[in-house]
Amino acid sequence: MNQHNTAARLSLDLTACDREPIHIVGSVQPHGFLLALDASGRIVQASANAPAAAPVGARLETAFPILDALVRRYLDGGQSQDGATYLRTVALGPEDARQFYEVAAHRIDDLVVLELEETEDASGDAGLDALTPRLRAFVERLHAAGSVEDLCQLLAEDIRHVTGFDRALVYRFDRDWHGTVLAEDGNGVLPSYLDLRFPASDIPAQARELYRRNRLRIIPDAGYAPVPIRPGTTPAGKPLDLSQSVLRSVSPVHVEYMRNMGTMASMSVSILVDGALWGLVSCHNQNPKRVPLQARNACDFLTQIFALQLSAKVRGEQAEQRLALGQVQARLLAYMAEEESFIDGLLNHPDDVLALVNASGAAVVTADRCRLLGSTPPEREVRALYEWLSERGEAEDVVATDALAEEFSRAEGFADRASGLLAISISKRYASYVLWFRPEVVRTVKWGGNPVKAARPDPAGGPDRLHPRKSFEIWKETVKGRSLPWSVPEVEAAKDLRASVLGIVLRRAEELAAMSEELQRSNKELEAFSYSVSHDLRAPFRHIVGYANLLKNREGSHLTDKGRHYVETIIEAAFSAGTLVDNLLSFSQMGRHALNKVSGDLNGLVEEVRRKVLRDVPPDRTVRWEIGPLGRVHADPVMLRLVIENLLSNAVKYSRGRPEAVIEVGRLPPQDHEAVFFVRDNGVGFDMAYVEKLFGVFQRLHRVEEFEGTGIGLANVRRIVERHGGRTWAEGVPDRGATFYFTLPLREEA
Amino acid sequence: MATLKPILLVEDNPNDIELTLAALESSQLANQIVICRDGAEALDFIYRRGPHENRAVQDPAVVLLDLKLPKVDGLEVLAKVKGDPATRGIPVVMLTSSREETDVVRSYNLGVNAFVVKPVAFDEFFAAIKEIGVFWALLNEPPPHRGGWPSNG
Repeated sequence: MNQHNTAARLSLDLTACDREPIHIVGSVQPHGFLLALDASGRIVQASANAPAAAPVGARLETAFPILDALVRRYLDGGQSQDGATYLRTVALGPEDARQFYEVAAHRIDDLVVLELEETEDASGDAGLDALTPRLRAFVERLHAAGSVEDLCQLLAEDIRHVTGFDRALVYRFDRDWHGTVLAEDGNGVLPSYLDLRFPASDIPAQARELYRRNRLRIIPDAGYAPVPIRPGTTPAGKPLDLSQSVLRSVSPVHVEYMRNMGTMASMSVSILVDGALWGLVSCHNQNPKRVPLQARNACDFLTQIFALQLSAKVRGEQAEQRLALGQVQARLLAYMAEEESFIDGLLNHPDDVLALVNASGAAVVTADRCRLLGSTPPEREVRALYEWLSERGEAEDVVATDALAEEFSRAEGFADRASGLLAISISKRYASYVLWFRPEVVRTVKWGGNPVKAARPDPAGGPDRLHPRKSFEIWKETVKGRSLPWSVPEVEAAKDLRASVLGIVLRRAEELAAMSEELQRSNKELEAFSYSVSHDLRAPFRHIVGYANLLKNREGSHLTDKGRHYVETIIEAAFSAGTLVDNLLSFSQMGRHALNKVSGDLNGLVEEVRRKVLRDVPPDRTVRWEIGPLGRVHADPVMLRLVIENLLSNAVKYSRGRPEAVIEVGRLPPQDHEAVFFVRDNGVGFDMAYVEKLFGVFQRLHRVEEFEGTGIGLANVRRIVERHGGRTWAEGVPDRGATFYFTLPLREEA
Repeated sequence: MATLKPILLVEDNPNDIELTLAALESSQLANQIVICRDGAEALDFIYRRGPHENRAVQDPAVVLLDLKLPKVDGLEVLAKVKGDPATRGIPVVMLTSSREETDVVRSYNLGVNAFVVKPVAFDEFFAAIKEIGVFWALLNEPPPHRGGWPSNG
């Protein structure tokens, strides 16, 4: 077992082969001859094996009138087709040595290239008719095929059947141009290459380009001697471009490759999907073999039908996946829109976040938060990855890789969880990312021979010449640090999510801006209102109280008892209205004033308040205080004093009827990072049915004659505690007492 | 000069004037009580201008100053009096309905001597006014007058 770094190997061996100028090789294979004609129909170049009757310089009209007529018809036909066009089968030569040829023509620059390929008989003209039933059956079976591999298998079988080669392979290129044999059909003469992988260097870049332009190549006998084209250059002074030639002699390297493989004849047909080279049908024969033109045409046709079907299948699968992912995406969008923060919408639905791109783990990372979902690397590694992504800058909105460690070497350490990474940037300004992870999939790749070709030093001292490998023994390699690749619909789903998030964020920002404007305005109004209440509403109540008192004190003697009762009532009513205004103002101030939090001893504060409250307790009452250790708290002392004052004076007030009032103040064990305090009394209590009304403004549970008060004290308590980040609640039983709880967030140093 | 310094009450609301006078009356102070109905008049009195041009050269024992006043408001009067070295020594008590913290803070920043929010309860109001009157008019020792002979006029 061998391990290689794929990327490093690629840069090593894609050298000599890539430089071979294979399309201007200057010779043809000997199973036919080539004539190049200029616009006037004069022969300007000819392969050395052309009949003596057609020398360079002669007019085609004179040499072979039958061919000249074909060429004229070809030129008149307005040849739009790329590549060689088969014209017809002709017989040339004397009666006793008649040779049939399949004539093909194509144009290159301002020349017409005529190629005459030897054939056994004249039946080439029979066309595709004989093959029609077979083609129809092929198309039907293609429709029924389930997977891409099944399609490929059908193609391999049919092409071998049509051509009679010993073995037909369907070969697919991956993103690195390595090829894998997906399907094979053979008669057992040649070894099976199914599932083998062939390195990209086997079919170099310029060969791939040639394959794209010229869909079908054939080498009937790898042992051939190349026939040169004479003269070596066209009238324009260039070597003749043979990229569309059917007789083109192939690279000596390729011939050597074929001999090493033990095959003497080969044919390959390009599989083009949407104009790009998807793969090849590669056929081989142990012995030299010719394939008649009609069979070759049938292969080309079969392959094109296959490519269409393949393209439709791939599109269909992608459309299906898009549809499925689209449903997940729609759900996520709804979740994000529901939550205050879109991030919560994601975090609360981890299954859908992972399903969106079929990932096994995900992370939502911002500068100060890192939330992990599913199977992910540890947080510090995700952070490092985040730093790496942030440093890459603004170039990409989406990063997708199935070999993370090749770009980010630290990822080797967590390849088992994240060999694949798909990342979207959801905020440039605050550098926020959603990351998805896929685990490593360790694959054993069976190479068709050691993929590292050896370059042998040229004994003549020239540049090292590339030698194709001699062995096609299976060479196994373990590929590590790779995940399954991200499909196009998956990457698109991630991109769409990014667009949606940006949309939501933008809309939220606008809403917030509008809301904060509105808030500022209403806050200002509220301030103006309290100011005016403070000055203008309070004064009349003061005046009523003042004058009524003057009336009572100075003119009281003129009043009847009833009159004095009226005056008393006026004073009480106006006084309570004035107090109410004061309380209201203090309540509104509570919400507006900034908190000034400091740490301090709560027992000290409670003791001070207790003494103040006691001053209003009539001396005939008995109150037993049970105050436990309360510890230190971090709060605004002025505000917290109001809380304690309200709770203690309530406890005193509502336990007024007890022979002995018992008031307990204590601290419970912390819950959820909060300190919990309580004030308990054995007073009149309350019905739990009304517990929610207790903390509301102006909510009273008792009649005024029973217990005085404006119903604002507990509202103040709740407001202050909530502004500190705490909670308030109460428990009570009628006539058994009440307990009021409040919490304050724990602060470690408090 | 043997006369007691006057108490200056700056108040625009007639009800408040009457109630404050009733309270001061009950404290049985002998000081003259001068009433100004707006800030401009108060400044005229303090600086002996306009209708008060010919009054005796004598600073008030205390200025009881309302916050909201026509023409020139209480805070402006306070700023003027406390910003002038010649009048800085005059005790100023803000006597107001306002509970706004900002008013209190600004008044103290300007150098007010006391800030009293008039209580709604009558007894408390009477007690407050009496205490203010007694403290500032009788007990408080004003800073020594610098420059000239104050009582020669």
